[in-house]
Amino acid sequence: MPTIQARGLTKRFGADVLAVDHLDFDAIPGGVTGFLGPNGAGKTTTLRMLLGLVTPTSGSVRIDGQRYRDLPNPTMLVGAVLEASGFHPARSARNHLKVIAEMAHIPFKRVDECLELVGLSGVAKRAAGGYSLGMRQRLDLARALLGKPDILVLDEPANGLDPQGIAWLRDFLRFYASEGTTAGRDGRIVIVSSHLLSEAQLIVDDVIVLHGGRLAAQGRLADLLAGTKSSVRVRTPDAERLVQALHAAQLPAVMQDGYVVCEGGTPEVLGPIMVNNRIEVHEMVSSTQSLESLFFSLTGGETMQEGNVVGPIAAYRRFSDGGSPPDEPPVVASPASAAPPSSVAPPPPEPPPPETPSSAPTSSAGPVRGQQ
Amino acid sequence: MIGLLKAEIRKLWTVWSTYVLFAIVVVIDLLFGFALAFAPGGRHGGTAGVVPHGSTTWFINVFSVLDNSRLLALVLGAIIITGEYRHKTVTPTFLAEPRRGRVVTAKLGIGFLAGLLLGVLTMLTGLVIGFILVAVRVHSCAGLLGVSQGMSQAVCATQHGVYYVANTHDMWHDWSRIAPGVILGTGLFAVYGVGLGALLKNQIVAIVVGLLFTLVVETIVGAIWPTIGKYLPGQAATALEDAARTSFRGTTPLLSWWEGAIMLCVYGIALSVIGTLTTLREDIT
Repeated sequence: MPTIQARGLTKRFGADVLAVDHLDFDAIPGGVTGFLGPNGAGKTTTLRMLLGLVTPTSGSVRIDGQRYRDLPNPTMLVGAVLEASGFHPARSARNHLKVIAEMAHIPFKRVDECLELVGLSGVAKRAAGGYSLGMRQRLDLARALLGKPDILVLDEPANGLDPQGIAWLRDFLRFYASEGTTAGRDGRIVIVSSHLLSEAQLIVDDVIVLHGGRLAAQGRLADLLAGTKSSVRVRTPDAERLVQALHAAQLPAVMQDGYVVCEGGTPEVLGPIMVNNRIEVHEMVSSTQSLESLFFSLTGGETMQEGNVVGPIAAYRRFSDGGSPPDEPPVVASPASAAPPSSVAPPPPEPPPPETPSSAPTSSAGPVRGQQ
Repeated sequence: MIGLLKAEIRKLWTVWSTYVLFAIVVVIDLLFGFALAFAPGGRHGGTAGVVPHGSTTWFINVFSVLDNSRLLALVLGAIIITGEYRHKTVTPTFLAEPRRGRVVTAKLGIGFLAGLLLGVLTMLTGLVIGFILVAVRVHSCAGLLGVSQGMSQAVCATQHGVYYVANTHDMWHDWSRIAPGVILGTGLFAVYGVGLGALLKNQIVAIVVGLLFTLVVETIVGAIWPTIGKYLPGQAATALEDAARTSFRGTTPLLSWWEGAIMLCVYGIALSVIGTLTTLREDIT
C-alpha cells in the first residue's frame, strides 16, 4: 500500500517567508485526497517538496518511507502534474513523452496508450508550442501516467480546462483512484490541490486543509462536513411568533433581512414546530453543508485555534499530531469506497475530443499560474 | 544511465534549433575558409592557391581557422543544459530523475558526442573547401600561366618566378595535421559549455559569458601573461592541433596536446560539479 507521510515539514523562503510550517499529514490510499487552502497556504510548495523539486528547510515528507530523491525509478511510483511544468515549444508531444519514457525505461507502446487516454493521439506529432492550455494540461497528465503510478499528484489540474475537460478529469481521477483497489492492489493515492472548492467537493473523498502553511484539518470530507452546522431560513408573516417558538424549543433564532434564521436547525426539526404553532410559511430554505462553508470556518477571518476544532476534525488532528488514530474510522458513502466489490474494473471514461490547437501566438505563453 | 543518455540524444535531435546550429557551423566554416583562402597573401594574380614558392602553410592557414567552430560547440553545450531551464522542461526531467548529478553527467556525455559530431562536420566542410580550391587552382592556373598542370604538381614556373600551387597531396597532409585536434577540441569545448551552463543556469548569461571569456578575456590574458594564457580553454583547445606549433601562429607558448585535452576536461567537469553542488541544487519552483 503506498504511503505518504509528512512530519514536521517546514519550508522557509528567505528570512521572513514561512511557506510551510511544521506540517504533518498522511495521505490515505483508495480515494481522491483534496489538498485545499487559499492562495499562499503552501499547497504548491508542499507538493514540490513531496516531489523532490524543493528541499525542505526542516522535517521530511516520505513516500513509502523514502524521500522522492531516493526512489530508484520514481516515474513508476509517482506521477505528478504541476503548474509551470514545461514543454519545449518545438518538440512534439509524442517525443516529449518518449524522452521521459526513455529516462524511466518504459516501452514506447505506453506512450501511445497515454496519448490515447488523454485524447491527444490525433495531435501527438504536432509541436507542443501550438497547444492550448487545456491540451498542455492533458499532455502533462499523459506524462504523469506513463509509469502507471500508484501515487498521482495534481497541482490545480482544473486550471485551463473547460467544463467538459473538468468533468472528464473528475471521472478519470475517480476511476484511477478506485482502479487500484479493484485491480487487487491495496489502493492508490490521488492528491489534487485546488482552491476551487465547489469543484473539489465533487472530486475528493478526503481532504487536507492548509492555512498559512499549517494543517487546518484532515479527514474524510463527509466527516468534516458533518461537523459543520446547517441552518434554515424561513420567510413568514409571523416572524416574531416563530422566533419565540424556536426559543421555546431551545433553538437559536434571529431575524436577518426579513428571514428567520435558525443556525443548527433542520427542516425536519422546524417543520413540526411551525405546524404545531399554526405559523404560515411562505418559504423555507435549508442551507447545504458545503465544503466552502467548512473552508471558511476553518480558514476565514482569524487563524484557526486548536480549541475551535470539534468532533471528527479534532479526532483527525489528534491523529495527525502523532496520537493514536480513532478506533473506528467512520464509514462514509463515497463512490470510490462504497461501490460493491467487483472483479471487473470499470471502463475508463471516454477522453474528450481533442481541441484544435490554437494558432494564436499568445498560446505559446506558459500556463497561467493561478497561485504559488 | 543508458536511458538518460538515450533521452538526452532524443532531446537534442527533436528540436529544430539543433539542426539550425549545425547549419550555422557549416555556413561559418565556408565563409571563414574561403575568406582566408582569398585573403591578400593567400593568392597571387587573383588566383587562390597560387602563392610565392615557400608559403607551405597555405592550407594550414585555411584549415586552422575552422577551429573557431568550437565557439558554436560551447553554445551547443550551454544550450543542452540551460534550455531545460529556459523551457521549464527541467521539472519533468528532475521528476523522472531526481538525482540531478546523474542528469548533468548524461548531458556532459552527450554534449561531448555532439561536439565531436560538430567537429567532424567542420572538418568535412574543410575538405569540401580544400577540393574546391584545388579544382579552382588547376583551372585558373592553367589559364593564367599557359602551362598544363597536373593535380599532384606542387610548383609551377612562370615568367615571374617559381610559385607554390595548391594540390591534393598537400591538402590531405595539412588536413590530417589539423582535423584530429579540431574535432577533439570542438567536442571538449561542448563539455566546457555544459559546465558553464550547469554553473550559470541562465541561457543568455551562459552563452554571453562563454563567448566573451573565450574571445576577449583569453586574448587579453594570453597577450599579457602567455604562461597563464596557455592554460585557458581556448589555448588549451588550440594545443590539440598538431599543426598549431609549426604554423604561422608560431610564437604563443602552447601546452602539449594531451595536456590541453586534460585541461579542457578539467574545465568542463569542474564547472559541472560546482554547478551541480550550487545552482542546480536550488529549488525548482
